[in-house]
Amino acid sequence: MTMDSETLVDYARSLDCIHCGLCLDTCPTYQLTGRESSSPRGRIHLMRAVAEDRIEANADFAEEMDFCLVCRHCESVCPAGVEFGAMMEFTRDALATRARPGPLARLARWLGFRVVLPSRRWLRLTVTLLGLAQRTGALRIAAPLLGLRGRMLASFPRVPSRAERTPLPASTPAQGPARESAAVLEGCVMPELYGRVNRATVRSLAAAGVESRCAPDHVCCGALHAHNGDLAGARTLARGTIAAFDALVDDSGAPLPIVVNSAGCGAHMKEYGRLLADDPEWRERAAAFGARTRDFAEFLAEPERRERLTAALREAADSAPTRPTTYDDPCHLCHGQGIRSEPRALLDCIPGVELLELEDAESCCGSAGIYSLLRPQDSQDVLDSKLAALRASGAEVLVTANPGCQLQWESGIRRAAMDVEVVHLAEVVARAIDGSGD
Amino acid sequence: MDRRTLDRLASIVGEAGIVADRMRRLAYESDGLTLEREMPELVLLPRDTDETARCMRVLHEAGIPVVPRGAGTGLSGGATPVPGGVTIGTARMRDVLEVNASDRYAIVQAGVVNIAISRACAKHGLFYAPDPSSQKACTIGGNVAENAGGPHCFRYGSTTRHVLGLVIVTAEGEVLDLSHPVADPDGYDLIGLFTGSEGMFGLATEITIQLTPMPAATQTLLAIFPSLDAACESVTDIIAARLEPSAIEILDKLTIQAVEASVFAAGYPTDAEAVLLLDIEGGELEVETTVKGIEPILARHGRLELRSARDAEERERLWAGRKGAFGAMGRIAPDLYVADVVVPRTRLREIVRLATDECTKRGLKMSNVFHAGDGNLHPNISYDRRDPDEVERVLAAGRAIMQACVDVGGSLTGEHGVGLEKQEQMKLLFSPADLAAMDLARVALDPDRRMNPGKMLPLRACMETRTRPIPGGMRAEEARP
Repeated sequence: MTMDSETLVDYARSLDCIHCGLCLDTCPTYQLTGRESSSPRGRIHLMRAVAEDRIEANADFAEEMDFCLVCRHCESVCPAGVEFGAMMEFTRDALATRARPGPLARLARWLGFRVVLPSRRWLRLTVTLLGLAQRTGALRIAAPLLGLRGRMLASFPRVPSRAERTPLPASTPAQGPARESAAVLEGCVMPELYGRVNRATVRSLAAAGVESRCAPDHVCCGALHAHNGDLAGARTLARGTIAAFDALVDDSGAPLPIVVNSAGCGAHMKEYGRLLADDPEWRERAAAFGARTRDFAEFLAEPERRERLTAALREAADSAPTRPTTYDDPCHLCHGQGIRSEPRALLDCIPGVELLELEDAESCCGSAGIYSLLRPQDSQDVLDSKLAALRASGAEVLVTANPGCQLQWESGIRRAAMDVEVVHLAEVVARAIDGSGD
Repeated sequence: MDRRTLDRLASIVGEAGIVADRMRRLAYESDGLTLEREMPELVLLPRDTDETARCMRVLHEAGIPVVPRGAGTGLSGGATPVPGGVTIGTARMRDVLEVNASDRYAIVQAGVVNIAISRACAKHGLFYAPDPSSQKACTIGGNVAENAGGPHCFRYGSTTRHVLGLVIVTAEGEVLDLSHPVADPDGYDLIGLFTGSEGMFGLATEITIQLTPMPAATQTLLAIFPSLDAACESVTDIIAARLEPSAIEILDKLTIQAVEASVFAAGYPTDAEAVLLLDIEGGELEVETTVKGIEPILARHGRLELRSARDAEERERLWAGRKGAFGAMGRIAPDLYVADVVVPRTRLREIVRLATDECTKRGLKMSNVFHAGDGNLHPNISYDRRDPDEVERVLAAGRAIMQACVDVGGSLTGEHGVGLEKQEQMKLLFSPADLAAMDLARVALDPDRRMNPGKMLPLRACMETRTRPIPGGMRAEEARP
């Protein structure tokens, strides 16, 4: 093994794979191509071959690594427990450091990861510009020049009005007597594009007797950085996130549980312990942080909270039947966090919701963080079979639990000229409480 | 490969159907038997019978050997590439072409995944019975090539009993349409001959399979035993009592522990020496009677606990644990050698003990999981292929186990096929004349012996000289017997 190959591959993890192939059929890129090298087993095989100096990590290798959506569906079916997501983050980071992309690509990466994502002000400016381009029609005119990426941007959901793009208050009181407090992650893009989901989140928590608190200066958890080959950036942001949330404590001085309504962020934050395993100063704090991170559905589905929420729902709802509804599992919720029954249990609590099962609900929708921007064609190809499943389900409302998926579904449904509303689970709960549902 | 051949092939399958670069081809160098590795010259992924036939004609003209490949989940090296050969994968032939519920058959392309057939006909109350442990990934084409089995084949029989028709592309690129929606067609049973031919008689592209009605009732029992012997003995008695569960599986302690540490944790007790997993299917009354007959037998052999799955979900979990057992062994070591021997059921205990001894004395770690009802054992030996000495010891233990099974009247393979792995051991079972007769059947369909050459039949079986295909060369020459 050479130094070079050693730094490119998480060799120890690659040895866990016994080549059984149970992962093949779950993999969206294997489904698309039928190519072994585009399957989890094939990618691990290639990684191992690179580490053992049998092949060179050439452009074809980098391409197969980039093609992966890191949906981690393979991890859900792997009997050997291969940590594929972690391996992919490792290799992508090494490739990004080693392969020197062109100056434009480097500039774009730097702008995106180091300037825009970690800064509230830059995020706001970017989204404002996008909204301006939408309203003036500039986007429609410019879209054809940008090819497929342009068409993706053109089908982007409308940027909400300025009034909607406000941050959450530092504290949202519980409805009735407060039983407990929780820290809520507002997220980077969420307040700009899905402020309504954040508001629905704290509204739902309030109904379950939970006071919500926010970390005022916190912006980004670093999940996108980790998934896209910037582990150094991810580590910096993780430290900042831990510091910001450790400052939120209850009356006894104990840090609050952290509630996350974005599956991708939640999955990443739960793994901070692994991300900072080599940092003696932060290791323990990171592990403790991960241990008290909860997905929105996971948090509310715990028996006591669920009981309180059910009572609030019973009081509020007129139990009028809703439109046929289905739930699509975000990858980083079902595969990344093992959360499958909790969102369905919450939907079950809502009077009048008739849940239709979506075929292959656990397979990726092609959003995969910024994959839809980086590889628009592949992303749409992955979404196509999901759209067919949605059509076959007969649902008129699609529930998800991750902003990336929500965006992807909204764009795809618009392009396919279907009439299906996409909502976050928190929105469904909040609407049922306030009776503003359908 | 010369440019012209490559261009002709590319024009048939298109860019998406060809894997030519060295890096991607490397992913195809082995199937589930990672000991045997070889780089394919080229990989083709045709979409249908027509594309396959056109590719095969070009390869025939160029005299290039062909290795068929399904999902590459086989455990005997059936899909290991041959030097200078082209691998033809069925991964893009994934359409279910027809489901006929009233006549109870389905026509599917060869690359359809085993479980997908059952999914496609579930709404009609039907399923596809053979259930290899890799059924969530393996293809029906591969199942036909290896005559695959699975836990429930104890009752339903292995693949060959469920294949009604085939469309075969021969080595010369001729399409042989043997599609029959009915059992037992007139003339010689070519389908029976083809099933289990390990890709050496041609490449099946479409398969007509029989569908089975779902049983009215199913009960899954999990019996926990203080010893492997006791579990084996109760199986012998269950069968002697003419009770017929549809599946009878035994897992030993090491397997249980690996499974319980995995995503397929099924709730098997990790301190048990062995568990016996039984599916009893049929009409309500039949199931009840069979279970009543089985319970006292298990008790007599000292079962510590008997659980019955309460619902479909629990049943599914118990079986998922069993079916994830191979992969779960990845927690023990990077590689696993899966033996696939069959012995008369009454000799199970003896062979299990012998296999354990053979491994212990060579310092190898072995676990056991087996289709006890069929007398089909899978002594699983964990190893690391980076250690050449260990690899040697694994192969020696494997040979000793196979020899012992043949000695007691058993066979080399229950369901995984001979492939590269058990090729030499064929000589334990067959005389040179037998092997030459087998070769005759092959030559009838593949006169040049270009389909999956160097598999199943031992090299120099007939004492003829046989040159290995020339690495990187165009032609694989094999001497005629």
